[in-house]
Amino acid sequence: MNLYQPNLVTISDVIDETPDTRTLRLTFQDPQLAAGFDFKAGQFGEYSAFGAGESTFCIASSPTRKDSIECTFKAVGKATRAMRELGAGDTMGFRGPYGNHFPVDRMEKASVVFVAGGIGLAPVRCVIWNVLDTREAFEDVTIVYGARSVSDLVYKRELAEWAARPDVKLWQTVDPGGEAPDWKGEIGFVPAIVEKAAPSAKNAFAVVCGPPVMIKYTLPVLEKLGFADDRVYTTLENRMKCGIGKCGRCNVGPVYVCKDGPVFTARELAALPQEY
Amino acid sequence: MIAKTITAEELGALVADLVSAGTRVIAPARAADGKVDYRAITRFEEAAIGAELPRRSLKEFFLPPTEPLFSWHQGKGDVTVKPVAVSFPPHVVLGARPCDAAAVEILDRVMGWDYRDELWFGRREATTIVSVACPGVDGSCFCTATGGGPDSKRGSDLMMVPVDGGYLVEAVTPKGQAFVGAHAARFVDAADAGTTAAAEAFRTGVRSRVAEHLTLSLPALRRWLEGSFDHELWRAIVLRCHGCGACASVCPTCHCFDIVDEPEGVRAGTRRRNWDTCQTARFTVHASGHNPRADQNARFRQRVLHKFSIYPGRFGEVLCTGCGRCARACPGGMDLPEVLKTITALVGTGASREAAV
Repeated sequence: MNLYQPNLVTISDVIDETPDTRTLRLTFQDPQLAAGFDFKAGQFGEYSAFGAGESTFCIASSPTRKDSIECTFKAVGKATRAMRELGAGDTMGFRGPYGNHFPVDRMEKASVVFVAGGIGLAPVRCVIWNVLDTREAFEDVTIVYGARSVSDLVYKRELAEWAARPDVKLWQTVDPGGEAPDWKGEIGFVPAIVEKAAPSAKNAFAVVCGPPVMIKYTLPVLEKLGFADDRVYTTLENRMKCGIGKCGRCNVGPVYVCKDGPVFTARELAALPQEY
Repeated sequence: MIAKTITAEELGALVADLVSAGTRVIAPARAADGKVDYRAITRFEEAAIGAELPRRSLKEFFLPPTEPLFSWHQGKGDVTVKPVAVSFPPHVVLGARPCDAAAVEILDRVMGWDYRDELWFGRREATTIVSVACPGVDGSCFCTATGGGPDSKRGSDLMMVPVDGGYLVEAVTPKGQAFVGAHAARFVDAADAGTTAAAEAFRTGVRSRVAEHLTLSLPALRRWLEGSFDHELWRAIVLRCHGCGACASVCPTCHCFDIVDEPEGVRAGTRRRNWDTCQTARFTVHASGHNPRADQNARFRQRVLHKFSIYPGRFGEVLCTGCGRCARACPGGMDLPEVLKTITALVGTGASREAAV
């Protein structure tokens, strides 16, 4: 077995998040791995449907929940379309965990602000559950999440759960025109809602993930709120193949996203050329 | 270090010894079209050692253009995966060019950092590289500018220098010493002073000729590259580039690859690693359609940056051995040594980001 040979996993559950976004819950077939697999929030893996190849996603579940791992994806390419054809009980391949991670340890005893857009909630959700499962170690928890429309919001059952928790401040928003008649959340783009929510930057960290345009306009808002750029974290989505610093694909400036990332601070991101 | 000599006849006999013992011998040899390629030989007479530079480098013997990573078979609801072997039968490369041998050692860095690529190192361990000092090829050679040389021992287990009637042989690594020990009868002990002097004259002669083609300050080049991401040069020089990737294909150090599934029927298949190149648009395009390197300027810049800034930054050495194959192979006339010369001129005038438009 070489580095590129995946571990076999069984799809134990299929959850349709939106009409085009699906979550798969995966359990390792090797009992030793099923018992011993460990990772950190923000790490990624190479998931494969045999015959269609591999696709790179973060592990969307929290390391505090060890019985299985989850990935959330849209069927847009060859591998993801093939993964969408699979169902519960089917076998997939998984290599990982790879890359660095969100410094959850560093965030302890501090407040955490999560900002996500669309399917960008997947890597953020991993950190959210990591924090909520050890809630007493953290101060305030604020989540600002938005999507184009109500039907594009992912993890709806968990949004309801977070909304109901007194120890979480959840702001949900949809783009103007994306609301439904019974929508009770905000209407507006994520950066504007972050500004409206105005979470305190005092002893706080921010975790941001979403479409590039959302990140572009959210970072200045966070800066205005007083977040230092080395306390704002995001995760880069670059095309990858090997995931282990060999194949050269995810190279941005001096950085191998798969090895030095995928998690970067806003400060680190600002130093990179615009090739992501 | 052991210095020995070997006659052409004994070298031929050595090849016969190796082949009969089951060792695969790779040497530069003429193809049907008269051009020289590295390929497996069974008789020494097939070899064209020290002739023109082989068309392709040694890379394919360590990182094949396509290789299986594993195969799978889909049963009812389950999948069986069959691994590939990561140990390989013995190989000897006879007559490697120093630029090609050095490239293999340079690539050990990326193949071994943190995650060790078993397929690469399996082949490395199974292979003994016997290089021959290069007589020089043409004006596209610039090995001396990259820190190597036509007589550089880097990456070689043994180095041969042509002398009258045969070769002066030096064991460079313990593997090379063991090789000489295992075939001791084919070598003659300690070269005489005249032979050593002739070998030395050959080496210095070629070295000074190649050095005339291009001289680089690698640190200054790297500094310029790191400050000139938006320099107009990238737009100007890339007009002739078709983005075909021929440069990467013939390059001894370009190592980017793709991983793809090849179905064999409905229920089985092989996942393969195939050579790929940052020179094509598809290399970086996201599933969303967004392409971080959307134009050829950015893609050519990436190739130069990876070789002379990113790789040295990460691994302490440039990802280029100055073999000149990219310049010779390019159908559009892109010429890396010329580009480096142009940049060196810009470095000389102190033109960096300030000169960018």
